[in-house]
Amino acid sequence: MNTQNSLSPKMKMADAINRYHSLLTVLPRLGIPLGFGEKSVEQLCEEHRVSLPLFTLIARVYCLEDYFPTANELQQCPMSDIIQYLVTSHKDYLENKLPHIEHHLNILLEPMDKKYSTLISNFYAEFRKEVEKHFLYEEKVIFPYLRQIISEQEATESATYQKHTFNQQHDDIEDTLNDLSNLLLKYIPAEVSPAERVDMLLDMYALSNDIAKHAMMEDRILVPYIQLLESKRHD
Amino acid sequence: MIKIAIAEPSSMLRIGLEQLLRELPDAEVVFSTDNLNALYSRINALHPDVLIVNPLLFDYTKRATLRAEFDQLPNLRIVGLITAYIESQHQRQFAGIIELNDDLQRIKSTLNQVVSSLQSDSDEPDTDPLSDREKDVLVCLSKGLKNNEIADELNISVHTVITHRKNIVRKTGIKSVAALTVYAILNNLIEQKDII
Repeated sequence: MNTQNSLSPKMKMADAINRYHSLLTVLPRLGIPLGFGEKSVEQLCEEHRVSLPLFTLIARVYCLEDYFPTANELQQCPMSDIIQYLVTSHKDYLENKLPHIEHHLNILLEPMDKKYSTLISNFYAEFRKEVEKHFLYEEKVIFPYLRQIISEQEATESATYQKHTFNQQHDDIEDTLNDLSNLLLKYIPAEVSPAERVDMLLDMYALSNDIAKHAMMEDRILVPYIQLLESKRHD
Repeated sequence: MIKIAIAEPSSMLRIGLEQLLRELPDAEVVFSTDNLNALYSRINALHPDVLIVNPLLFDYTKRATLRAEFDQLPNLRIVGLITAYIESQHQRQFAGIIELNDDLQRIKSTLNQVVSSLQSDSDEPDTDPLSDREKDVLVCLSKGLKNNEIADELNISVHTVITHRKNIVRKTGIKSVAALTVYAILNNLIEQKDII
């Protein structure tokens, strides 16, 4: 079966989500609520004023491992909407996902010796500060810059430098999440909050996966798009 | 310690290369020869990690399948010592390439790359706990020491410190110093008051 067709606009949204669970985190960020009955991807996008090429692009990055959009697919898509999607994702991480994990963590650490639990919650607090700093930097520096380029339909040489900034910091966030999950998985004694730990690890794997996709959106959509604008300018 | 075997027909080159490799603290040339027969007869017993070989030693017909000659040693990494024109498809079977103009630094980084690929390629999961030396390095890291300071403290080379660090990351799955410090305290390797 052609994998690209497995995410066609005619597909029922419910089928798409049953097949690709990670899409569940995407819908609220685009303002598409659940409870959509038998409606298709296309119908729902129209109903909620989400650009269909944009939805398709995001969904493919999320669901298809090796997906790289073609220049044509990129051009069909309103880029400023993608930036808006990324900003909404940041908000979702900071306001929902991270506090949720933090809540689990606090319960989990409760029965532990204070001298160990403080250590881990400090580690988490540092991590959270880093994430906030990184998102803020993107929103205050990188995104406004990209919006400007897009609106002027021209790019400057420094765009390639920005790409580098994107990659590195996302890797750091993923690495730290990974460090934390390994600590919880391997090195906290067996008797400490076993059920809570499983829940927390599942949440962390899901978040880590989502952040990896988030990074891919920047690497595989935004950056190539900027390069496309650059090459047009040079023609 | 990386164990290296050399097979090179020119004695000038062979001895020169041995001399150069002696300056690498973590490499040891365990065997060196100018002919294939000697190589075939000794290599199984010596188990080098890396074979540096000049492809010209092989008949033209065998050059393309040179790797297959050492099938019985799946962990052996073969580095080509290129002294004359060799087709690129023949070069591709080597884990690394050393050329006549390479300086020691270049050779060193080639060998390091080849050896680290050896470690990550192995299918066997690493179930060993940290060795005592790795624990020493970890404790130093947690105290905020830098690579060169750890090297001084433990009386080992910076290169060895880096190797230990790689092994620690590989075994624990933990990359950041902050999380490694948490690991060290959880495992009672250090006391909280020792960290800065």
